[in-house]
Amino acid sequence: MLSLEFPGSFGRPLPGQFLMIRIKGSIDPLLGRPFSVYSYEKKGERVHIEVLYKVVGVGTRHLSQVRRGAVLEAYGPFGKTFEIMEHVEKIVLIAGGIGVAPVTYLASHNHDTIPQEFRSEVICYFGVTSAKRLIGIEKLKNYCTELHISSDDGSVGYHGSVIQLFESDKERFESEKTILCVCGPRIMLQKLSNLEGIEKFRCYVFMEERMACGRGACLGCAVMVRDITGEVAFRRVCTDGPVFDLREIVWDYRI
Amino acid sequence: MTVTIGGLTLKNPVMTASGTFGYGEEYASSVDINRLGAVVVKGISLKPRKGNPPHRIMETPSGMLNAIGLENPGVDVFLRDKLSFFTQFDVPLIVNIFGDTIEEYAKIADILSSEKRINGLEVNISCPNVKEGGWAFGIDPERSYRVTRAVREATELPVIVKLSPNVTDITVIAESVEKAGADAISLINTVLGMSVDIEKRTPHLGNIVGGLSGPAIKPIALRMVWEVVNKVSIPVIGIGGITSPSDALEFLITGAKAVQVGTANFINPRATVEIIEGIEDYLVTHGIHDVNDIIRTLNVRSTV
Repeated sequence: MLSLEFPGSFGRPLPGQFLMIRIKGSIDPLLGRPFSVYSYEKKGERVHIEVLYKVVGVGTRHLSQVRRGAVLEAYGPFGKTFEIMEHVEKIVLIAGGIGVAPVTYLASHNHDTIPQEFRSEVICYFGVTSAKRLIGIEKLKNYCTELHISSDDGSVGYHGSVIQLFESDKERFESEKTILCVCGPRIMLQKLSNLEGIEKFRCYVFMEERMACGRGACLGCAVMVRDITGEVAFRRVCTDGPVFDLREIVWDYRI
Repeated sequence: MTVTIGGLTLKNPVMTASGTFGYGEEYASSVDINRLGAVVVKGISLKPRKGNPPHRIMETPSGMLNAIGLENPGVDVFLRDKLSFFTQFDVPLIVNIFGDTIEEYAKIADILSSEKRINGLEVNISCPNVKEGGWAFGIDPERSYRVTRAVREATELPVIVKLSPNVTDITVIAESVEKAGADAISLINTVLGMSVDIEKRTPHLGNIVGGLSGPAIKPIALRMVWEVVNKVSIPVIGIGGITSPSDALEFLITGAKAVQVGTANFINPRATVEIIEGIEDYLVTHGIHDVNDIIRTLNVRSTV
């Protein structure tokens, strides 16, 4: 968890948005890394933002070694905002691993902005590789009507992948009355897209891709989609996303 | 801080590098575009190009690889949707162009020349991500000559030719494009490179190979600028790993008339403006009134 303090003028991120964070003056690692917003709070004249991340490479490793009080550079909020604008009976959130961060922020935003009497039921499925990877449930469960856990090794909750867990339960959801919001490893998202009947649901996925500029200029963070004409095209995760309709995404690049 | 390049007057020697500044809008909230010496927008081709499949970028020590694949909306959409953004600024606008054939280069040069807002063309003969066309031109002095000549004949606008470092002797290409009528030369484009994922045992880039940019290539770029300024008479614009005012000054002292800032924009959107101010500070502290008085003032003890 990285807790950052900003001047009060820093824009309030909305769900879907992310920050580019780097160590000031660093040449190696050079680029900022994109991180979804996990939580936001305005405390007097300062803004507090939390970011939840996993060490996956050089950039995240360096960040994990930064000490309290260090000054970092953060740009943003970037990304197209994503809010659930219509009232639905049920919101289903599916999170895999570190995907719990943007999903939690979406849930908290929904909870804070919608009056009690109009709130949907929020059913969360959260999958981890094992019990020791279980982070973030204390915050997430505040916003869920139900929270179901799965683990690949069976050390906590359902034994299996979070998509298998969702699949075993999905018959109770009516597609017209449900919206799905999903974030996790690419393999997980691809498995979800292959589930029978999933195309009937409104399903939104938080995508990620390596980024350089984070603001739409370099075209590095391309994701392959099928556009409305059925043609294959590329979209920028940082500007056209990070949230996309699951049905748009093309998973196999060999075209 | 004024410099002139091929008939273009720049208020300072700092430009943006093609492919790193989009079409201007993405950085407008961070930088006062009117302060820049010139803006070079992302390369345009006749027809739209989709670009390469993911992954398109990968960071490497002190740099990054890119294999974007020259994704662009094509000249028609550029003129219709992107050009108008610049009417509110009075910064010189240079459009980077490329094609698959010499005819395409000439055609796009011709189309862009009738747009009043466009002040110059930068000819990309060196992009390492194209499988045909661009890749072939830049490594061959004869084809570099023919492309430059075709663009020269198709336009009255200042023509800057951007060279590839992925050649045995860049000065041969430089002399060739000068002979063909280029008004200036910009160098370097990215250096071919590669990176591998040892767990997946796959290349990190979808295209396998990409172009390296950033601080890691600065010594290569600087050396090539040095070699080229000693061989041609037309102005040379230095590109490659410039992130700070002192980086830019290294290039100016070595002989570049101007510099382009590229990858630095990704890590600091205000890099261009900070570099301009840093050069100004240097001139003040050294009692120099005109930036042209430091250009090509490198002291070398032995003759080259």
